[in-house]
Amino acid sequence: MATEKPRKDAPPIYRERCATGIEGLDNILNGGIPRGNTILFTGSCGTGKTTLSLEFLVHGAIAGENSLFVSVTEASDKLMKNVIPYDFFDETLIKKGTLVFVDMPVIYERLGLTEMELSLEDVGTIVKAVGDLVDELSIKRLVLDSVTSVCYRLKTEEKIREFILQIGKCLSDRGCTSMLISEISPSAERYSLYGVEEAIADGIVLMGNLERRGDLLRTLQVVKMRGTNHSRAKYVLDLTPAGILLVPLLKGGSGGGTT
Amino acid sequence: MPKSPTELAEELIQLPPSAISLKLRGDETYFDAIRGIVDIFASKKDLNVIYISAAIPSQSTIDVLNILEVDMSRIFFVDCISPIVASIIKRHPNVHMVESPTMLENIMLKVEYLMKKSGDRSNVVLLDSINMLAIHNSPKILSEFVHILNNNMRAKNAYILIFSMDAFSSDEIGNMMTFVCDLEISMAKEGEN
Repeated sequence: MATEKPRKDAPPIYRERCATGIEGLDNILNGGIPRGNTILFTGSCGTGKTTLSLEFLVHGAIAGENSLFVSVTEASDKLMKNVIPYDFFDETLIKKGTLVFVDMPVIYERLGLTEMELSLEDVGTIVKAVGDLVDELSIKRLVLDSVTSVCYRLKTEEKIREFILQIGKCLSDRGCTSMLISEISPSAERYSLYGVEEAIADGIVLMGNLERRGDLLRTLQVVKMRGTNHSRAKYVLDLTPAGILLVPLLKGGSGGGTT
Repeated sequence: MPKSPTELAEELIQLPPSAISLKLRGDETYFDAIRGIVDIFASKKDLNVIYISAAIPSQSTIDVLNILEVDMSRIFFVDCISPIVASIIKRHPNVHMVESPTMLENIMLKVEYLMKKSGDRSNVVLLDSINMLAIHNSPKILSEFVHILNNNMRAKNAYILIFSMDAFSSDEIGNMMTFVCDLEISMAKEGEN
């Protein structure tokens, strides 16, 4: 049987969106992240990556989508305090289990992964553990903060590539939209510390600090997003109790590098 | 041409939400214009006021409004002048600071935040003043800022009033205001033609 080719005049296939709940970002992305995509949120420290990812999860939980935050570097008790100041945050989301925090070191410990350098086999074990957790809790949104810290224990490019590929596929197969947080130095000329993560992710959102005449502005730019048209312009953001707000970066100002 | 707070408010009440350049002729009209907008006009239309302080610190305006016994509960300030003149002695709960008048995007973000917080109530945004922002910003970036701000307000069905001090205005600012605003109102002191 011959495969039917899509007609040239056929309307483009619309992919279901996972609205982040951050109005400005959803506008940039034409409605939200294509569901099931794995996005790399990358930037130097203090640019708002963790705050943005937490808001993504809180909005998801409010909308009834089970949301999971996997914390690699910071204890989740401390992180939870960051969501409380939100006007729209409701503590029952955590009590009901719609919003779940898990510490990656606990997962490592339960899996018996005590060696500092993880093997290729360990990659499979970690991905399976995350996948099982997603299945068990019916997770629809996931944040891994940070993928850089996991990669730090993988050491080689081969293992990092394998990890990103496997975790992306594992989450996508389950219809789970995920954000991988990546830390880069202010002067980095690429989007991830190891250079592998950016090539494999479905989308890249770059967060930075722009210095303009002595003022430091927090910025956000969607560099790549598979499955949707999107703006590639730079926006300025503010972290407020009403959530993250975005406005276009004014271009009349003198140029400045992202630091 | 309105010559008193009441006349200004009456003229504004007749208008749909728009971007208005308010030309102030003479220093004496400054507080009359503020009173006409934040007290009479906003009360009659049941609007929240978002007051962008770029000329004088918000606390000075608050002190005057308190003397005039204006209801402060619906007036919110985005103050970008106090941080640079180090005049923050006490902070009113309705005041939101922006570090510098050059951080125009952050002014927009604070306005956006206050509008989000105001819920169903409509807003009037008062920018005081274009001349003072022009001291700190190039005409190019200032035009871009006013253009985006005006369009944002239009999209949200809010009034935006931009003070322009006649005595300190240049042709460049005048042309820009004519270009980006829907209409211009001049306010004169009593007895002036």
